[in-house]
Amino acid sequence: MPPDLLSREIYGNIDATSKGIFYTLAAVALVVFVHGVYRRVRLWRLGRPDPASIDWGGTLRRLFSKVLSLRTLRGSRPRASLAHRLLFYGFLVLTIGTLLIAVEHLAASAAGRQPINPLFHKGIYFAIYELVMDIFGLALMVGCVWFLLRRAGLAGEKAGSAASIGQHWTDKLVLLALLVIGLSGYLVEGLRILWATTPEPGFSPVGLLAAWAFETIGVTAASASTIHLVLWWCHAVMALGFIALFPQTRLLHAIAGAIQLATVNRQPGQMQPVSIEQVEETGIFGVGRLVDFHRHQLRELDACVSCGRCQDACPAHEAGKPLSPRDLVQDLRAALDQAAPLLRRGEEGGQLHGEVIHPETLWSCTTCTACVTVCPLGISPLDMITDMRRHLVGEGKLRGSPATALQKVQRSGNPWGLPAEDRFNWREGLEVPTVGENPDFELLYWVGCAAAYDRRTQKIARAVVQLLARAGVNFAVLGPEERCSGDFVRRMGDEFLFQELAAGNIATLDSHGLASQSPRRQIITHCPHCLNSLVNDYPQFGGHYEVLHHSQYLAALVEEGKLKVSETAGRQITFHDPCYLARAQNVTEEPRQLVQISGNLVEMKRRRQQTSCCGAGGGRMWFDDGPDQRVGVSRVTEALETGAETVAVSCPFCLTMMTDGVAAKDASVEVKDVAELLLEAVTAERNETASNRS
Amino acid sequence: MKILVPTKRVPDTDQKIRLRDDRRGIDIEHLPFVINPFDAIALEEAIRIGEQQDSVEVLAVGIGTELYETELRTALAMGADRALLVEVPDYSDAHAGLDSWNVACLLREIAHREEPDLILMGKQAVDDDASQAAQFLAALLNWPQATFASTIEIQPEGARVARETDSGIETIQIGLPAVISTDLRLNEPRYASLPSILKSRKKPIERISLADLDVPLEPRIKILNMEAVSAHRSCQFADNVEQLVEFLERDREQEEE
Amino acid sequence: MKILVVLEHDQQQLRSGSLSAIGFANDLARQTGGEVLCLVLGDAGDPLAEQAAQFAPVLAASSPLLADPLADRHAHVIADVAGNRQVDLVVAASSTYSRDVVSRAGGLLGGAMASDIVSHSWIDGRLEMKRPMYAGAILATVVLQSSPQVVTVRPSAYPAAEPLATAGEITPLVVDDASLPSHASYDRLESKPSHRPDVTEASVVVSGGRAIRNSDDFERLVGGLADCLGGATGSSRALVDAGITPNELQVGQTGKIVSPDLYLALGISGAVQHLAGMKNSKRIVAINSDPDAPIFEVADYGLVADIYEVVPDLTSKLACDET
Repeated sequence: MPPDLLSREIYGNIDATSKGIFYTLAAVALVVFVHGVYRRVRLWRLGRPDPASIDWGGTLRRLFSKVLSLRTLRGSRPRASLAHRLLFYGFLVLTIGTLLIAVEHLAASAAGRQPINPLFHKGIYFAIYELVMDIFGLALMVGCVWFLLRRAGLAGEKAGSAASIGQHWTDKLVLLALLVIGLSGYLVEGLRILWATTPEPGFSPVGLLAAWAFETIGVTAASASTIHLVLWWCHAVMALGFIALFPQTRLLHAIAGAIQLATVNRQPGQMQPVSIEQVEETGIFGVGRLVDFHRHQLRELDACVSCGRCQDACPAHEAGKPLSPRDLVQDLRAALDQAAPLLRRGEEGGQLHGEVIHPETLWSCTTCTACVTVCPLGISPLDMITDMRRHLVGEGKLRGSPATALQKVQRSGNPWGLPAEDRFNWREGLEVPTVGENPDFELLYWVGCAAAYDRRTQKIARAVVQLLARAGVNFAVLGPEERCSGDFVRRMGDEFLFQELAAGNIATLDSHGLASQSPRRQIITHCPHCLNSLVNDYPQFGGHYEVLHHSQYLAALVEEGKLKVSETAGRQITFHDPCYLARAQNVTEEPRQLVQISGNLVEMKRRRQQTSCCGAGGGRMWFDDGPDQRVGVSRVTEALETGAETVAVSCPFCLTMMTDGVAAKDASVEVKDVAELLLEAVTAERNETASNRS
Repeated sequence: MKILVPTKRVPDTDQKIRLRDDRRGIDIEHLPFVINPFDAIALEEAIRIGEQQDSVEVLAVGIGTELYETELRTALAMGADRALLVEVPDYSDAHAGLDSWNVACLLREIAHREEPDLILMGKQAVDDDASQAAQFLAALLNWPQATFASTIEIQPEGARVARETDSGIETIQIGLPAVISTDLRLNEPRYASLPSILKSRKKPIERISLADLDVPLEPRIKILNMEAVSAHRSCQFADNVEQLVEFLERDREQEEE
Repeated sequence: MKILVVLEHDQQQLRSGSLSAIGFANDLARQTGGEVLCLVLGDAGDPLAEQAAQFAPVLAASSPLLADPLADRHAHVIADVAGNRQVDLVVAASSTYSRDVVSRAGGLLGGAMASDIVSHSWIDGRLEMKRPMYAGAILATVVLQSSPQVVTVRPSAYPAAEPLATAGEITPLVVDDASLPSHASYDRLESKPSHRPDVTEASVVVSGGRAIRNSDDFERLVGGLADCLGGATGSSRALVDAGITPNELQVGQTGKIVSPDLYLALGISGAVQHLAGMKNSKRIVAINSDPDAPIFEVADYGLVADIYEVVPDLTSKLACDET
């Protein structure tokens, strides 16, 4: 190289034949890589076509905002997430850097330039390039080392998360390979610096260090050249081998996961509808075989790195139920690999129920969406579970008390099978106008089944209407016209009973002018499940409404001065975020505002979007568990451990589960809805009846 | 093996039962109707036998108007192979027209035509609580009967049935064909959701009219009128055990007077 | 009216329900100027016939083939007797035996049957009866429209017959064994022998519900209180389903219907199906930890408490004759 040129000769020391072989090998490696990916893609395509068409604009945006930013790693396992960022960005930069060298080489050759006359790989660009590559190479290696240490149990990670990562022999091999590739890269660089006497080697500090080390052990410029050649080939072959075998290892997650995160824009609390026509046409309802999954779901199986974050977050798993979302996904993947030869030939295979997945596993889920929220790869074990539940329900495989609850909703419009005409008994003694009595209402209060029939929950509804009356709100309720929103019905898998309920409710709501008015009338509800259903499910069937949680509406009333609060008692109150409010609807602030009016808020460790399920969602409320075996028992303990005198909730399911859980532990802590707390603060009357325990 | 499962359409007993103004029947407006729970248990048992043995045909039978189709559709969705509706005119007083005797006579005719090996039905209908139809049918057919079955074992030589009686569980051995009526603890019926109901659309509901059966309907029991019974009492709550003991002892004294 | 009363027994004793059936028959015979004849089926020989003869003339059908209560044989004999003697009315007490056997006999006799009646009147030459429907929510007044009529009576609705001044005549009935059908054979009866009275016959019934966690607790709490009061134990369906109590203790629409002088419901919530079995009790006392339990709506006295805490206390505080 001309001495005044800040550059280095690319492929210096590599003769033309070797270059030819190298490019050939590279091409082969690339072909093997592409073929490997293609085989997996073909497997994914055995599934049913995805319902929505690709939104290219959104995809491109999410490629940056979700994939390249690694945003989804936020919120759990901070050290592992940092290590992954180091590894990922290190690898990305090194790959780009290597490609740039190839570009320089090919472009320069095409332009007829001599190797000593590079196109752009020189000067300031070169300096920055060398520095960046060295730093990011280090990052890559640090990441690898940390991950290897964690697998050996030496990284200081909590026992839980280190134990919940999946272990496969290729994982360690991949990490070691990356490490060795990185190391060999530096050694090659060092040797190159030695024999080529690259100017300003300080821009490659690590390479310089390697060069110095070689020099110290007595390597001369001449021998450096030979060793360089050997190590260069080692590095090249390893790197190319790595690329070729990429899709056979867990690294496939990078591709499957990137596509998943970029193309699928799904929020917690949403579900895919199925139409009766589809079922009649295909004869398929829900997922009974692997190929009944949608393509993106089969892709999700390859996106899973078995990190176990979902398992750590799963309340059913914590309670000892036979459900681990990670194991579910991995078992499905294993089943896919096993059935692949049959499926590729077009033969029947991939039956899931009983063999691969047990019904008990599926019914253990509370649909709390913790797994969906925490997964860095955008996988939804929850959707897989509800799809498989649909199949079980469709095949008549559900029995006992949960089946009875569905039957009762079908007949009477509420899960207890109580007379529909008794739906309005909760208002006894209060002035509560129905939509018939007050057709010019501005706010509809959706009461829900629990507050209509369950004695304890009726008190929430009574508190809400008293507060609305005090604030002078022009409101009404549907009264006996209301039917179960169908949230748990849908999440148990009975899609068509849900659609029947939704159609009925939408017709009722629309008939009272809730869809068409402008400005639109609002709906409030104290039940996050009804809320989520109205917001996320009902639009799929033509029901578009503006719905708020009662805490949001009441907090606004306080803010606007329409409700005056008398005192702030000094008691300690802890707040249990409902899954369907915090995660599915992103509402965490307003309930807290209401709590803080009544006392001092003591937070639990798992709060807001990290809240831990009370155990009643997804139809689990209707399963007959003993008090010790219920999902959510540990949440009760967590609440009691705060030492608060009051546990504040804002969901009727949470109210029931927490109350029963507290009673089972013989504690004297009271459990109240935020509306009840607000009413106390507004009227300055504390309601300390023992019926809190019923 | 052919199993006949007669089913009855009854009001959902979770709901409030109200009388019609003429007090000869109940007010059925807004009242949901369902398959009699004991008949659902019988249907479930028949379907299970079909799942355990080869070549079993389950035929669900309903006697009523075309309103009955929903319940028969549910029976098919649960897994019955065929469903048969015996069309009868709509009696304004649902119980005067079709009492246990008429039902048994109609079912006997069906049994002659279908020649089942087993008739499985509920021990009682939750509307009239009569518990007669199965026994009448067995008498008319001169077949063995096993009532209030809590377990049924089908064997080559017949059936071994455990029955729930006032004195305990009685096990008997009967030959087939036979009539067995089901008790509560025999099984838990499966839930038939809409997809199963859709799939069952491929199975037809056969119809046969009363005239075709040529069975004279002579009602044996006539309802003159009905009265509602309220069980409500006003409860005196004791504050503690001592007070409750006081109440009870006060009763005892009053009785001795 | 010529009335045939089919009696039920356990080989040793007549069931007290049968005495109520005789009471009903005697009452009707008086109103119609008719006669009553009792039928005893079995192989127990004279002692049972003699017991029955205290209350009415007896027809004793004796044969080893009738020793087991098999419906086809017993019904055959009943129908035969009713036919040969031109009986107008066949009566029995409501029980699983009569539902099994007497209903079959009813089928052989033309199907004019009313079951589980709770009251009757003889008006304009016809028998009008009241029977519960819809889990006891409705009481229907019915008449039967052909002859012979077959009726089962709810024992708790009719007092036992008074013994006659002189015992009735006992007529042995010759049974032609060859004519008896043999569709069925008897295997065995599994029942727990109990020192307590039968739940349908006792004047005090102590009943346990879902709050009871296991059979030992049932014996201790429910059994303990029942023994203290000299009563029978009963159970809600939940405990039978859970295997904690045997089915013969189940009180309810699909179990036993009782109306004792005192019914104590311990930890029972009061679902309508259970109420159907006990709401006619003279005095109903309920103990439940849930103040909103529906049982309190049909109770005379209530206590909101945990039965595990208060029942032992209650048992000791009630002045019991024996500990």
